[in-house]
Amino acid sequence: MSTANLTKPKVRQREPAPATRASPVAARSAPFRRALLTWARRGGISRLLFLLPMLVVFAAFSWYPIVRLVLMSFQHTNLVQAPTWVGLQNFSEVLHDPLFPIAVRNTAEFAGLALIFGYPVPLVVAVLISEVRKRRRLYSALAYLPVVIPPVVAVLLWKFFYDAGPTGVFNTMLHWVGIGPQPWIQSEQAAMPSLVLESTWANAGGTVIIYLAALLGVNSELYEAASADGAGLWKKIWHVTLPQMRTILLVTMILQIIGTAQVFLEPYLFTSGGPDNATMTVLLLIYNYAFGNSLGGSYGEAAALSLMLVAFLAVFSLIYLRATRSWSRS
Amino acid sequence: MSALQFRSKRARGPQETPRGIVSRADWNRRSVKYGLGTAHGALLVLLVVCGLGPILWLAKAAITPTQDTLVQPMSVFPHGLAWSNVSDAWTQVDIGLYLWNTIVIALGALIFQIIIASTGAFALSVLRPKWGRLITAALLTTLFVPSVVLLVPLYIEIVHPPLIGGTYVDSYWAIWLPEAASAFNVVLMKRFFDNLPRELFEAARVDGCGPVRLFLSIVLPMSKPILGVVSIFAVLGSWKDFLWPLLVLTDASKQPLSVRLPTIQGQTELGVFLAAMLIACLVPIIGFLLLQRWFLRGTGLSGAIKG
Amino acid sequence: MTFKTRASTSTRMGGALIAGASLVAVAAGSISTAAAGVPVVKISVASLIPGSTAAATAAFNSQVKQFENANPGIEVTSVQYQWLGSTFAAKLAAGTLPTVFTVPFTDGRSLGENGQLADLTVYAKALPYFNKFNPAVIAEGIDAKGQVIAIPTASYAQALTYNRHLFSEAGLNPDDPPTTWAQLEADAKQISDKTGMAGYAEMGANDNTAGWILTTLDYALGGRMESGIGASAKATFDNPEAVQALDMLKKMRWTDDSMGSDFDWGWSDINQAFAAGQVGMFISGSDVYTNMVQSYNINPSIYGLAPIPLVNAPTAGVLGGGTLAAVSVKSTPAQVAAAVKWIDFYYMQPLVNEQQAVRNAKTLAANKQPIGTPEVPIFNQAQQNLSNSWIKPYINVPLNQMAPFTTAIFKDKIIPEPEAATQAVYGDLDSVVEAVLTNPNANPSALLAAANPVGQKSIESGS
Repeated sequence: MSTANLTKPKVRQREPAPATRASPVAARSAPFRRALLTWARRGGISRLLFLLPMLVVFAAFSWYPIVRLVLMSFQHTNLVQAPTWVGLQNFSEVLHDPLFPIAVRNTAEFAGLALIFGYPVPLVVAVLISEVRKRRRLYSALAYLPVVIPPVVAVLLWKFFYDAGPTGVFNTMLHWVGIGPQPWIQSEQAAMPSLVLESTWANAGGTVIIYLAALLGVNSELYEAASADGAGLWKKIWHVTLPQMRTILLVTMILQIIGTAQVFLEPYLFTSGGPDNATMTVLLLIYNYAFGNSLGGSYGEAAALSLMLVAFLAVFSLIYLRATRSWSRS
Repeated sequence: MSALQFRSKRARGPQETPRGIVSRADWNRRSVKYGLGTAHGALLVLLVVCGLGPILWLAKAAITPTQDTLVQPMSVFPHGLAWSNVSDAWTQVDIGLYLWNTIVIALGALIFQIIIASTGAFALSVLRPKWGRLITAALLTTLFVPSVVLLVPLYIEIVHPPLIGGTYVDSYWAIWLPEAASAFNVVLMKRFFDNLPRELFEAARVDGCGPVRLFLSIVLPMSKPILGVVSIFAVLGSWKDFLWPLLVLTDASKQPLSVRLPTIQGQTELGVFLAAMLIACLVPIIGFLLLQRWFLRGTGLSGAIKG
Repeated sequence: MTFKTRASTSTRMGGALIAGASLVAVAAGSISTAAAGVPVVKISVASLIPGSTAAATAAFNSQVKQFENANPGIEVTSVQYQWLGSTFAAKLAAGTLPTVFTVPFTDGRSLGENGQLADLTVYAKALPYFNKFNPAVIAEGIDAKGQVIAIPTASYAQALTYNRHLFSEAGLNPDDPPTTWAQLEADAKQISDKTGMAGYAEMGANDNTAGWILTTLDYALGGRMESGIGASAKATFDNPEAVQALDMLKKMRWTDDSMGSDFDWGWSDINQAFAAGQVGMFISGSDVYTNMVQSYNINPSIYGLAPIPLVNAPTAGVLGGGTLAAVSVKSTPAQVAAAVKWIDFYYMQPLVNEQQAVRNAKTLAANKQPIGTPEVPIFNQAQQNLSNSWIKPYINVPLNQMAPFTTAIFKDKIIPEPEAATQAVYGDLDSVVEAVLTNPNANPSALLAAANPVGQKSIESGS
């Protein structure tokens, strides 16, 4: 068996050209056949066999849908007849939908609130945990526990906690400290913050662990050097810890923004987008376009809005990477 | 940070005094010792209340009569226990069937994701085909496409598959295969394979080892850590999945717990419903408690990848 | 056409299909050959909503057995089914609906006109009672081309369900439910003050139910949400009666505080809460008692049914609705024939055939299922009285507690739902109701005026 299987072939041994008087067809196919045999002998078949499952699955369920998405956004599809091309009509319908600006605003509100509350909290917790001397694993496990709960269970549980009557779980607890019952998800103002609260609870643990791993990986010599220079705790955090974690912090921020921009489960299960569309997000709007009408969905509009979301996130990520590259580099 | 590096760092052990932000000298200062100590204590209390609290409440409410949960949710068994909630969840709500469905889907997800990711990563990392870099680039681009956004075309594809006809609604294949198209898994495994010593492969080659044997007898056994991480995330991800199974599995008898629970909420008594929710959480929680190390290591790794 | 002709037609068709099946593997498995060489047609039928009690399911299965015994050539599989706006379209697109399924009046004709329901004309017209249908009711199952695409199986009118125990506890007479809106508001306040429970609850979920109940209130005050029919219909959301209804809700919610603290009730949730004794009064269909027994084991003595208060105006009326049984368009002709037989047996025979009505009642009684829930006649009043007399000995619902409704409903005018894009129109009204119930500064007329063009667009886009 050829050893060229295992390493990148550095030298391609070419077979000498056949000096024959064969017909043109044979002359064309002969080198092809020979190349094929060479390829097979060099382990091309096994390479292909190993690659094939992944390629097939990705082609069918990743690359093809991406292409299909783009095509669908320019078509009218109703699953009964063949799709028809409608140009930019889907995009125009979406842009003129009164729910579109509402959904965009709400999604931005969710992402913004999640950033303000859900971004610094895991960092603070991780820094504290990294300095725990005994039973650090206990802290990590407790922080991560909400992440393993299936989101559906978490949301339904919190939906019960958020019951707006005086005997609701949270309202009972507020009563202990003398605060009156809150409407939580029954109020237009409080609905979105309530969703953000639950979402933070359910997801912060994962971020804590990521930060913790990064914190523990910071070179302790840097801290020793800083201490030798007489730096106090806060100075060390500011001048050593944060800069060392810069990359992970920036990456987590953009990932959180991208993730929260696609929030679906919380608005869907808590409030179905209500009350009065206060929690209607872009993903929920896409879902409603495609699956919200009992007589059949507007798949084209759903695809158009999906494409707009992807394009926006891509552009946003590029701008973000460009802007933060200067920070990461220095 | 590769898995090997990560492991060696952890090998230093969490119990010894960390030489981190707070140096040994700092710890000896009273203000730091008591200040930080208090902060840690407060954090522990907060974590217990916030992290453990809701789950403990759920466990309590699952065996409390409905009326008590409605009227006095924060009191502990004012009128005794109601184990009937759990038995009703099992018989009336038929939780066992949905639990079984969830397990089947999770196991299938595990198997397919491992197969697809390991073979693909092996090919890209060890066998290095000619188009390897192009393929890797194509994989990375899919990482940047938010998966939720592909719902609509993927759904249409499942309902009316283009080449093969028929329909794959209500089929578990429609759940397993799209999940297996995870560039994240492939990248994770490829990175791990990239860090395996090439000398080993050379030695194996010299012994006349073909790619298949190399994969099965050498690479896979050495990859237990990463396989463990991918498995855990495959199972956990499948357990938590909601929207896609909701769309694809319209037949109630095929649905997993996450899809079924919201549907039956309107028809089920509260106590029984809470017991059902508890049963739905038990497997991930117990799995987490037993396999903490894998979970936490895996999450750390995923952070390293993203960095 | 008589029953005999229909049977021989289906046997002939069955024979041809058998010949075909023996040559080609039939993927759908709709026809198989039993040992005796008799063709067996397989159909799947919608049974009960998921989560129904074991007793209810047992009753249904007995009825399936009775049907199969009477029709040896048909094999029936029952499939749990609930029509939900969000999941129906997905199932239809994927082709996973059972052969026989139900849809509300609101969607029947549109689905038929879009070619998504099987044509039942031949079989439906063969039914002996076809010409006895109430013309308004059967019209819901006939599309614009005059084809029968669904058969009405139940008709209901909106009604006021009230909790007799809460009435007594609040010092009100349980046999004297409110007959005017002012009285309803006062009673709601009294109940919430004296018992702490929601005096009046209004559906407010974002799934078309909020708009449905608002439309009900609008009709009861004499208004309409649409004018005209078909493609030329116009949305009239901002009619003064709708503003009046919202003002009334606003007052109950914010001034009287008699509506409790939850405002996202859907159809199931509100039934569940009522059965648990948390709601004094609410408006929904007149048939919800059945669901409350089948899903929540309601204590029968708390249930009271009254007519919705109507104002004294010629346009004031009770919103009506109903359910249609339809057949999947992917069915073979043999399956369609079998499907209509099932529809006839399960839904219609208890209303037209004494023997079947009694047998049906016995099965339900054996499984402690509700018999005798008030219905609005789908034939005519005489037939309704007749079929009620057949099952009189088995009636186990507290009819005397429902007397206020059953006596008044014959005088009240029942008005069909808005004709164009009904579900979409209800959906467009959802946010208006939610705003009034969750925002103290909501302005009903402004909200309705803003929602009107949205409704108009829904009507024009035809869905």
